Amino acid sequence: MASLGDLERAVMDRLWSAEGPLAAAELRDGLADRGLALTTVHTVLSRLEQKGFVVHDDARPRRFRARGTREDHAAELMHEVLGQAGDRQAVLARFVGGVDPDEARLLRELLAAAGPDDAPR
Amino acid sequence: MLPATAAALAVLAALLAWPVPALLARARWPRRDPLVALVCWQAIGLAGGLSIIGALLVHGLAPWGHSLPEAAWSVLTGHPAEAPVRGDHWVTLTLAGVLATELVGVLLLSWLRTARTRRRHRELLELVVQPASLPDARLLEHPAPVAFCIPGARPLLVLSSGMVAELDDAQLAAVVAHERAHLREHHHLYLLPFVAWEAALPVLPAAARAHVAVRTLVEMRADDVALASLPGPAPRRTLAQAIVVAAGGAGGAGVPSGALAVTGSAVGVRVVRLIEPPSPLPTWARAAALLSAGLLLLVPTALLLLPAL
Repeated sequence: MASLGDLERAVMDRLWSAEGPLAAAELRDGLADRGLALTTVHTVLSRLEQKGFVVHDDARPRRFRARGTREDHAAELMHEVLGQAGDRQAVLARFVGGVDPDEARLLRELLAAAGPDDAPR
Repeated sequence: MLPATAAALAVLAALLAWPVPALLARARWPRRDPLVALVCWQAIGLAGGLSIIGALLVHGLAPWGHSLPEAAWSVLTGHPAEAPVRGDHWVTLTLAGVLATELVGVLLLSWLRTARTRRRHRELLELVVQPASLPDARLLEHPAPVAFCIPGARPLLVLSSGMVAELDDAQLAAVVAHERAHLREHHHLYLLPFVAWEAALPVLPAAARAHVAVRTLVEMRADDVALASLPGPAPRRTLAQAIVVAAGGAGGAGVPSGALAVTGSAVGVRVVRLIEPPSPLPTWARAAALLSAGLLLLVPTALLLLPAL
Protein backbone atom coordinates (compact mmCIF):
# COMPACT_ATOMS: atom_id res chain seq x y z
CA MET A 1 0.00 0.00 0.00
CA ALA A 2 1.24 3.45 -0.89
CA SER A 3 2.35 5.73 1.92
CA LEU A 4 0.51 8.95 2.70
CA GLY A 5 3.51 10.82 1.31
CA ASP A 6 3.10 9.08 -2.04
CA LEU A 7 -0.60 9.86 -2.08
CA GLU A 8 0.02 13.49 -1.21
CA ARG A 9 2.42 13.75 -4.10
CA ALA A 10 -0.06 12.11 -6.47
CA VAL A 11 -2.88 14.44 -5.37
CA MET A 12 -0.68 17.53 -5.75
CA ASP A 13 0.37 16.41 -9.22
CA ARG A 14 -3.32 16.09 -10.13
CA LEU A 15 -4.22 19.49 -8.71
CA TRP A 16 -1.29 21.18 -10.40
CA SER A 17 -2.18 19.74 -13.78
CA ALA A 18 -5.95 20.32 -13.39
CA GLU A 19 -7.68 23.17 -15.23
CA GLY A 20 -9.60 24.34 -12.18
CA PRO A 21 -10.60 23.27 -8.68
CA LEU A 22 -11.52 19.62 -8.21
CA ALA A 23 -13.93 17.89 -5.83
CA ALA A 24 -12.65 15.02 -3.71
CA ALA A 25 -14.72 12.53 -5.73
CA GLU A 26 -13.16 13.77 -8.97
CA LEU A 27 -9.72 13.32 -7.46
CA ARG A 28 -10.62 9.79 -6.39
CA ASP A 29 -11.82 8.99 -9.91
CA GLY A 30 -8.71 10.53 -11.39
CA LEU A 31 -6.58 8.30 -9.19
CA ALA A 32 -8.76 5.23 -9.88
CA ASP A 33 -5.71 3.05 -10.52
CA ARG A 34 -4.86 3.42 -6.84
CA GLY A 35 -8.30 2.25 -5.69
CA LEU A 36 -8.66 4.89 -2.99
CA ALA A 37 -11.60 5.32 -0.67
CA LEU A 38 -13.15 8.78 -0.57
CA THR A 39 -12.19 9.09 3.11
CA THR A 40 -8.56 8.49 2.20
CA VAL A 41 -8.70 11.26 -0.37
CA HIS A 42 -10.16 13.57 2.28
CA THR A 43 -7.45 12.60 4.74
CA VAL A 44 -4.78 13.38 2.19
CA LEU A 45 -6.44 16.67 1.28
CA SER A 46 -6.71 17.83 4.88
CA ARG A 47 -3.04 16.98 5.46
CA LEU A 48 -2.16 19.01 2.40
CA GLU A 49 -4.31 21.88 3.67
CA GLN A 50 -2.43 21.80 6.97
CA LYS A 51 0.85 21.98 5.10
CA GLY A 52 -0.43 25.01 3.21
CA PHE A 53 -0.43 23.37 -0.22
CA VAL A 54 -4.19 23.14 -0.82
CA VAL A 55 -7.16 25.46 -0.26
CA HIS A 56 -10.85 24.69 -0.70
CA ASP A 57 -13.88 26.78 -1.61
CA ASP A 58 -17.32 26.83 0.06
CA ALA A 59 -19.23 25.19 -2.77
CA ARG A 60 -21.10 21.95 -2.19
CA PRO A 61 -19.37 19.59 -2.51
CA ARG A 62 -16.22 21.44 -1.57
CA ARG A 63 -13.70 21.82 -4.35
CA PHE A 64 -9.97 21.88 -3.84
CA ARG A 65 -7.15 23.60 -5.67
CA ALA A 66 -3.44 24.08 -5.18
CA ARG A 67 -2.65 27.27 -3.26
CA GLY A 68 0.19 28.15 -5.62
CA THR A 69 2.01 26.73 -8.60
CA ARG A 70 4.76 24.18 -8.13
CA GLU A 71 7.27 27.00 -8.75
CA ASP A 72 5.66 29.20 -6.06
CA HIS A 73 6.01 26.44 -3.51
CA ALA A 74 9.53 25.66 -4.64
CA ALA A 75 10.56 29.29 -4.12
CA GLU A 76 8.89 29.41 -0.70
CA LEU A 77 10.54 26.18 0.39
CA MET A 78 13.90 27.26 -0.90
CA HIS A 79 13.63 30.24 1.39
CA GLU A 80 12.55 28.25 4.40
CA VAL A 81 14.92 25.32 3.96
CA LEU A 82 18.00 27.39 3.20
CA GLY A 83 17.24 30.00 5.84
CA GLN A 84 19.62 30.87 8.61
CA ALA A 85 18.46 28.02 10.85
CA GLY A 86 19.00 25.32 8.30
CA ASP A 87 22.49 26.43 7.53
CA ARG A 88 23.72 27.14 11.03
CA GLN A 89 22.22 24.11 12.70
CA ALA A 90 23.39 21.63 10.11
CA VAL A 91 19.86 20.59 9.20
CA LEU A 92 21.17 20.14 5.69
CA ALA A 93 24.49 20.13 3.88
CA ARG A 94 24.56 22.80 1.23
CA PHE A 95 27.00 22.50 -1.66
CA VAL A 96 28.05 26.14 -1.48
CA GLY A 97 26.70 28.58 1.05
CA GLY A 98 26.33 32.28 0.66
CA VAL A 99 29.19 34.29 -0.75
CA ASP A 100 29.12 38.04 -1.15
CA PRO A 101 29.44 39.43 -4.70
CA ASP A 102 33.03 40.60 -4.15
CA GLU A 103 34.20 37.19 -3.10
CA ALA A 104 32.28 35.53 -5.93
CA ARG A 105 34.12 37.78 -8.40
CA LEU A 106 37.42 37.01 -6.73
CA LEU A 107 36.78 33.29 -7.06
CA ARG A 108 35.96 33.63 -10.76
CA GLU A 109 39.22 35.49 -11.32
CA LEU A 110 41.10 32.87 -9.37
CA LEU A 111 39.67 30.12 -11.53
CA ALA A 112 40.40 32.04 -14.74
CA ALA A 113 43.98 32.69 -13.65
CA ALA A 114 44.46 29.00 -12.96
CA GLY A 115 44.49 28.38 -16.70
CA PRO A 116 42.10 27.46 -19.48
CA ASP A 117 39.80 24.46 -19.32
CA ASP A 118 41.46 21.08 -19.12
CA ALA A 119 44.94 22.55 -19.01
CA PRO A 120 47.13 20.12 -17.11
CA ARG A 121 48.55 21.69 -14.01
CA MET B 1 43.59 13.25 48.36
CA LEU B 2 43.28 13.58 44.63
CA PRO B 3 44.52 17.16 44.43
CA ALA B 4 47.14 16.38 41.80
CA THR B 5 44.63 14.53 39.64
CA ALA B 6 42.07 17.32 39.88
CA ALA B 7 44.72 19.93 39.11
CA ALA B 8 46.03 17.96 36.13
CA LEU B 9 42.52 17.60 34.74
CA ALA B 10 41.84 21.28 35.26
CA VAL B 11 45.02 22.22 33.41
CA LEU B 12 44.08 19.88 30.57
CA ALA B 13 40.58 21.39 30.47
CA ALA B 14 42.02 24.91 30.30
CA LEU B 15 44.39 23.92 27.48
CA LEU B 16 41.52 22.34 25.53
CA ALA B 17 39.23 25.30 26.16
CA TRP B 18 41.46 27.81 24.47
CA PRO B 19 45.06 27.35 23.25
CA VAL B 20 44.69 23.94 21.62
CA PRO B 21 41.59 24.78 19.53
CA ALA B 22 43.12 28.15 18.64
CA LEU B 23 46.29 26.45 17.40
CA LEU B 24 44.46 23.77 15.43
CA ALA B 25 42.09 26.33 13.90
CA ARG B 26 45.06 28.38 12.70
CA ALA B 27 47.19 25.44 11.55
CA ARG B 28 47.63 24.90 7.83
CA TRP B 29 48.02 21.12 7.84
CA PRO B 30 44.30 20.30 8.30
CA ARG B 31 43.55 21.22 4.69
CA ARG B 32 46.13 18.60 3.64
CA ASP B 33 44.22 15.88 5.43
CA PRO B 34 40.71 16.96 6.52
CA LEU B 35 39.77 13.53 7.81
CA VAL B 36 42.65 13.35 10.30
CA ALA B 37 41.90 16.91 11.38
CA LEU B 38 38.25 15.99 11.94
CA VAL B 39 39.32 13.13 14.19
CA CYS B 40 41.51 15.58 16.15
CA TRP B 41 38.59 17.99 16.60
CA GLN B 42 36.35 15.22 17.89
CA ALA B 43 39.05 14.19 20.34
CA ILE B 44 39.48 17.79 21.54
CA GLY B 45 35.75 18.14 22.10
CA LEU B 46 35.39 14.87 23.96
CA ALA B 47 38.56 15.23 26.02
CA GLY B 48 37.67 18.84 26.89
CA GLY B 49 34.27 17.87 28.25
CA LEU B 50 35.69 14.85 30.02
CA SER B 51 38.48 16.77 31.73
CA ILE B 52 36.45 19.74 32.96
CA ILE B 53 33.66 17.59 34.34
CA GLY B 54 36.25 15.13 35.63
CA ALA B 55 38.23 17.84 37.42
CA LEU B 56 35.10 19.06 39.21
CA LEU B 57 34.02 15.53 40.12
CA VAL B 58 37.43 14.49 41.37
CA HIS B 59 37.68 17.52 43.62
CA GLY B 60 34.11 17.21 44.85
CA LEU B 61 34.38 13.51 45.64
CA ALA B 62 37.82 13.79 47.27
CA PRO B 63 36.53 13.23 50.84
CA TRP B 64 35.04 9.85 49.88
CA GLY B 65 38.03 7.93 48.54
CA HIS B 66 41.40 7.70 46.84
CA SER B 67 40.23 7.27 43.27
CA LEU B 68 37.16 8.37 41.40
CA PRO B 69 35.69 4.84 41.04
CA GLU B 70 36.34 4.15 44.72
CA ALA B 71 34.88 7.48 45.85
CA ALA B 72 31.85 7.13 43.59
CA TRP B 73 31.25 3.61 44.94
CA SER B 74 31.44 4.88 48.52
CA VAL B 75 28.87 7.56 47.79
CA LEU B 76 26.55 5.16 45.99
CA THR B 77 26.71 2.56 48.76
CA GLY B 78 26.12 5.21 51.39
CA HIS B 79 29.50 5.02 53.12
CA PRO B 80 30.38 8.05 55.21
CA ALA B 81 33.12 10.35 53.95
CA GLU B 82 36.62 9.65 55.27
CA ALA B 83 37.48 13.33 55.47
CA PRO B 84 35.32 16.33 56.37
CA VAL B 85 33.17 17.48 53.44
CA ARG B 86 33.61 21.23 52.98
CA GLY B 87 31.52 23.72 51.08
CA ASP B 88 33.84 23.77 48.07
CA HIS B 89 33.28 20.04 47.62
CA TRP B 90 29.54 20.58 47.33
CA VAL B 91 30.03 23.51 44.97
CA THR B 92 32.25 21.56 42.57
CA LEU B 93 29.94 18.55 42.69
CA THR B 94 26.98 20.75 41.84
CA LEU B 95 28.91 22.42 39.03
CA ALA B 96 29.91 19.01 37.63
CA GLY B 97 26.28 17.94 37.66
CA VAL B 98 25.03 21.15 36.04
CA LEU B 99 27.72 21.12 33.36
CA ALA B 100 27.26 17.44 32.51
CA THR B 101 23.50 17.87 32.34
CA GLU B 102 23.80 20.94 30.18
CA LEU B 103 26.28 19.43 27.69
CA VAL B 104 24.38 16.15 27.31
CA GLY B 105 20.98 17.85 27.44
CA VAL B 106 21.81 20.41 24.80
CA LEU B 107 23.25 17.69 22.59
CA LEU B 108 20.06 15.63 22.85
CA LEU B 109 17.82 18.63 22.39
CA SER B 110 19.78 19.84 19.39
CA TRP B 111 19.62 16.37 17.87
CA LEU B 112 15.86 16.12 18.37
CA ARG B 113 15.19 19.59 17.03
CA THR B 114 17.40 19.07 14.00
CA ALA B 115 15.81 15.71 13.24
CA ARG B 116 12.34 17.26 13.46
CA THR B 117 13.23 20.15 11.17
CA ARG B 118 14.80 17.74 8.69
CA ARG B 119 11.70 15.56 8.63
CA ARG B 120 9.43 18.55 8.09
CA HIS B 121 11.60 20.00 5.34
CA ARG B 122 11.85 16.63 3.63
CA GLU B 123 8.10 16.09 3.72
CA LEU B 124 7.43 19.50 2.20
CA LEU B 125 10.18 19.20 -0.39
CA GLU B 126 9.02 15.77 -1.50
CA LEU B 127 5.71 17.30 -2.55
CA VAL B 128 7.42 19.74 -4.87
CA VAL B 129 10.52 18.05 -6.27
CA GLN B 130 10.59 15.98 -9.42
CA PRO B 131 12.94 13.21 -10.54
CA ALA B 132 16.24 14.53 -11.92
CA SER B 133 18.37 13.07 -14.67
CA LEU B 134 20.84 11.73 -12.11
CA PRO B 135 19.80 8.76 -10.01
CA ASP B 136 18.70 9.54 -6.43
CA ALA B 137 18.84 13.29 -7.05
CA ARG B 138 15.66 15.38 -7.12
CA LEU B 139 14.96 18.51 -9.09
CA LEU B 140 13.55 21.65 -7.47
CA GLU B 141 12.16 24.24 -9.86
CA HIS B 142 14.12 27.40 -9.02
CA PRO B 143 16.38 29.69 -11.07
CA ALA B 144 19.16 30.08 -8.45
CA PRO B 145 21.96 27.50 -8.68
CA VAL B 146 21.59 25.60 -5.44
CA ALA B 147 22.33 22.05 -4.33
CA PHE B 148 21.90 20.51 -0.92
CA CYS B 149 21.16 17.27 0.81
CA ILE B 150 19.09 16.53 3.88
CA PRO B 151 20.72 13.69 5.81
CA GLY B 152 18.81 11.05 7.73
CA ALA B 153 17.43 7.57 7.37
CA ARG B 154 15.80 8.61 4.09
CA PRO B 155 18.21 11.19 2.70
CA LEU B 156 17.13 13.67 0.06
CA LEU B 157 19.53 15.14 -2.49
CA VAL B 158 18.16 18.24 -4.18
CA LEU B 159 19.40 20.14 -7.23
CA SER B 160 17.72 23.35 -8.36
CA SER B 161 16.81 23.70 -12.00
CA GLY B 162 19.11 26.74 -12.04
CA MET B 163 22.01 24.53 -11.02
CA VAL B 164 21.20 21.99 -13.73
CA ALA B 165 20.94 24.79 -16.30
CA GLU B 166 24.25 26.42 -15.47
CA LEU B 167 26.48 23.38 -15.12
CA ASP B 168 27.57 20.82 -17.68
CA ASP B 169 27.17 17.11 -17.03
CA ALA B 170 30.63 16.62 -15.54
CA GLN B 171 30.22 19.56 -13.16
CA LEU B 172 26.79 18.35 -12.12
CA ALA B 173 28.22 14.91 -11.43
CA ALA B 174 30.85 16.58 -9.25
CA VAL B 175 28.18 18.40 -7.24
CA VAL B 176 26.19 15.22 -6.73
CA ALA B 177 29.33 13.28 -5.77
CA HIS B 178 30.14 15.94 -3.17
CA GLU B 179 26.68 15.78 -1.63
CA ARG B 180 26.67 11.97 -1.73
CA ALA B 181 29.96 12.02 0.18
CA HIS B 182 28.30 14.04 2.96
CA LEU B 183 25.52 11.48 3.14
CA ARG B 184 27.67 8.37 2.91
CA GLU B 185 30.13 9.51 5.57
CA HIS B 186 27.41 10.92 7.84
CA HIS B 187 29.08 14.30 8.12
CA HIS B 188 26.09 15.71 9.97
CA LEU B 189 27.07 13.53 12.93
CA TYR B 190 30.57 15.08 13.05
CA LEU B 191 28.97 18.51 13.14
CA LEU B 192 26.23 17.79 15.64
CA PRO B 193 28.26 18.11 18.89
CA PHE B 194 29.91 21.31 17.73
CA VAL B 195 26.62 22.91 16.72
CA ALA B 196 25.15 21.91 20.08
CA TRP B 197 28.07 23.03 22.21
CA GLU B 198 28.39 26.35 20.49
CA ALA B 199 24.79 26.93 21.54
CA ALA B 200 25.48 25.63 25.05
CA LEU B 201 28.69 27.60 25.63
CA PRO B 202 28.34 30.95 23.89
CA VAL B 203 30.99 32.42 26.20
CA LEU B 204 33.64 29.98 25.05
CA PRO B 205 35.30 31.29 21.88
CA ALA B 206 36.76 27.85 21.23
CA ALA B 207 33.26 26.44 20.72
CA ALA B 208 32.50 28.81 17.86
CA ARG B 209 35.98 28.38 16.42
CA ALA B 210 35.69 24.60 16.52
CA HIS B 211 32.30 24.72 14.83
CA VAL B 212 33.61 26.84 11.95
CA ALA B 213 36.70 24.67 11.52
CA VAL B 214 34.76 21.39 11.53
CA ARG B 215 32.25 22.80 9.05
CA THR B 216 35.03 23.77 6.65
CA LEU B 217 36.84 20.45 7.08
CA VAL B 218 33.69 18.48 6.36
CA GLU B 219 33.30 20.37 3.07
CA MET B 220 36.94 19.70 2.16
CA ARG B 221 36.53 16.04 3.00
CA ALA B 222 33.44 15.83 0.77
CA ASP B 223 35.44 17.51 -2.02
CA ASP B 224 38.19 14.91 -1.62
CA VAL B 225 35.77 11.98 -1.70
CA ALA B 226 33.99 13.46 -4.71
CA LEU B 227 37.30 13.86 -6.60
CA ALA B 228 38.11 10.19 -6.15
CA SER B 229 34.91 9.18 -7.94
CA LEU B 230 35.03 11.66 -10.84
CA PRO B 231 36.15 10.25 -14.17
CA GLY B 232 37.02 13.37 -16.25
CA PRO B 233 40.55 14.50 -17.22
CA ALA B 234 40.67 17.36 -14.70
CA PRO B 235 38.24 16.56 -11.88
CA ARG B 236 39.73 19.21 -9.57
CA ARG B 237 39.01 21.93 -12.07
CA THR B 238 35.53 20.57 -12.79
CA LEU B 239 34.61 20.67 -9.11
CA ALA B 240 36.16 24.13 -8.65
CA GLN B 241 34.12 25.43 -11.58
CA ALA B 242 30.94 24.03 -10.08
CA ILE B 243 31.72 25.72 -6.76
CA VAL B 244 32.40 29.06 -8.40
CA VAL B 245 29.17 28.92 -10.43
CA ALA B 246 27.14 28.05 -7.34
CA ALA B 247 28.87 30.77 -5.32
CA GLY B 248 28.25 33.37 -8.02
CA GLY B 249 24.53 32.74 -8.22
CA ALA B 250 23.65 31.93 -4.64
CA GLY B 251 23.14 35.52 -3.61
CA GLY B 252 20.64 36.36 -6.30
CA ALA B 253 17.05 35.37 -7.05
CA GLY B 254 15.81 35.67 -3.50
CA VAL B 255 17.64 32.70 -2.03
CA PRO B 256 18.89 33.19 1.52
CA SER B 257 22.64 33.30 1.51
CA GLY B 258 22.84 31.52 4.85
CA ALA B 259 25.57 32.08 7.38
CA LEU B 260 27.88 34.36 5.46
CA ALA B 261 30.61 34.64 8.04
CA VAL B 262 30.93 30.90 8.28
CA THR B 263 30.78 29.79 4.70
CA GLY B 264 32.14 32.84 2.94
CA SER B 265 35.82 32.30 3.49
CA ALA B 266 35.44 28.52 3.50
CA VAL B 267 34.33 28.59 -0.14
CA GLY B 268 37.48 30.48 -1.12
CA VAL B 269 39.68 28.03 0.76
CA ARG B 270 37.99 25.13 -1.01
CA VAL B 271 38.52 26.62 -4.45
CA VAL B 272 42.17 27.44 -3.78
CA ARG B 273 42.68 23.95 -2.41
CA LEU B 274 41.23 22.43 -5.58
CA ILE B 275 43.22 24.58 -7.98
CA GLU B 276 46.51 24.33 -6.11
CA PRO B 277 46.31 21.07 -4.20
CA PRO B 278 48.53 20.99 -1.12
CA SER B 279 50.79 17.96 -0.85
CA PRO B 280 49.19 15.18 1.18
CA LEU B 281 50.29 14.75 4.75
CA PRO B 282 53.22 12.32 5.07
CA THR B 283 52.44 9.03 6.79
CA TRP B 284 54.44 9.88 9.90
CA ALA B 285 52.55 13.15 10.34
CA ARG B 286 49.20 11.39 9.96
CA ALA B 287 50.27 8.81 12.51
CA ALA B 288 51.48 11.52 14.89
CA ALA B 289 48.22 13.44 14.62
CA LEU B 290 46.09 10.35 15.16
CA LEU B 291 48.31 9.28 18.06
CA SER B 292 47.91 12.71 19.67
CA ALA B 293 44.15 12.45 19.29
CA GLY B 294 44.22 9.03 20.94
CA LEU B 295 46.40 10.26 23.78
CA LEU B 296 44.14 13.25 24.26
CA LEU B 297 41.31 10.87 25.04
CA LEU B 298 43.43 8.43 27.00
CA VAL B 299 44.98 10.95 29.40
CA PRO B 300 41.79 12.26 31.05
CA THR B 301 40.31 8.76 31.08
CA ALA B 302 43.39 7.41 32.84
CA LEU B 303 43.45 10.32 35.28
CA LEU B 304 39.83 9.64 36.14
CA LEU B 305 40.11 5.89 36.60
CA LEU B 306 43.54 5.35 38.13
CA PRO B 307 44.17 5.87 41.85
CA ALA B 308 45.07 9.43 42.75
CA LEU B 309 48.61 10.70 42.77
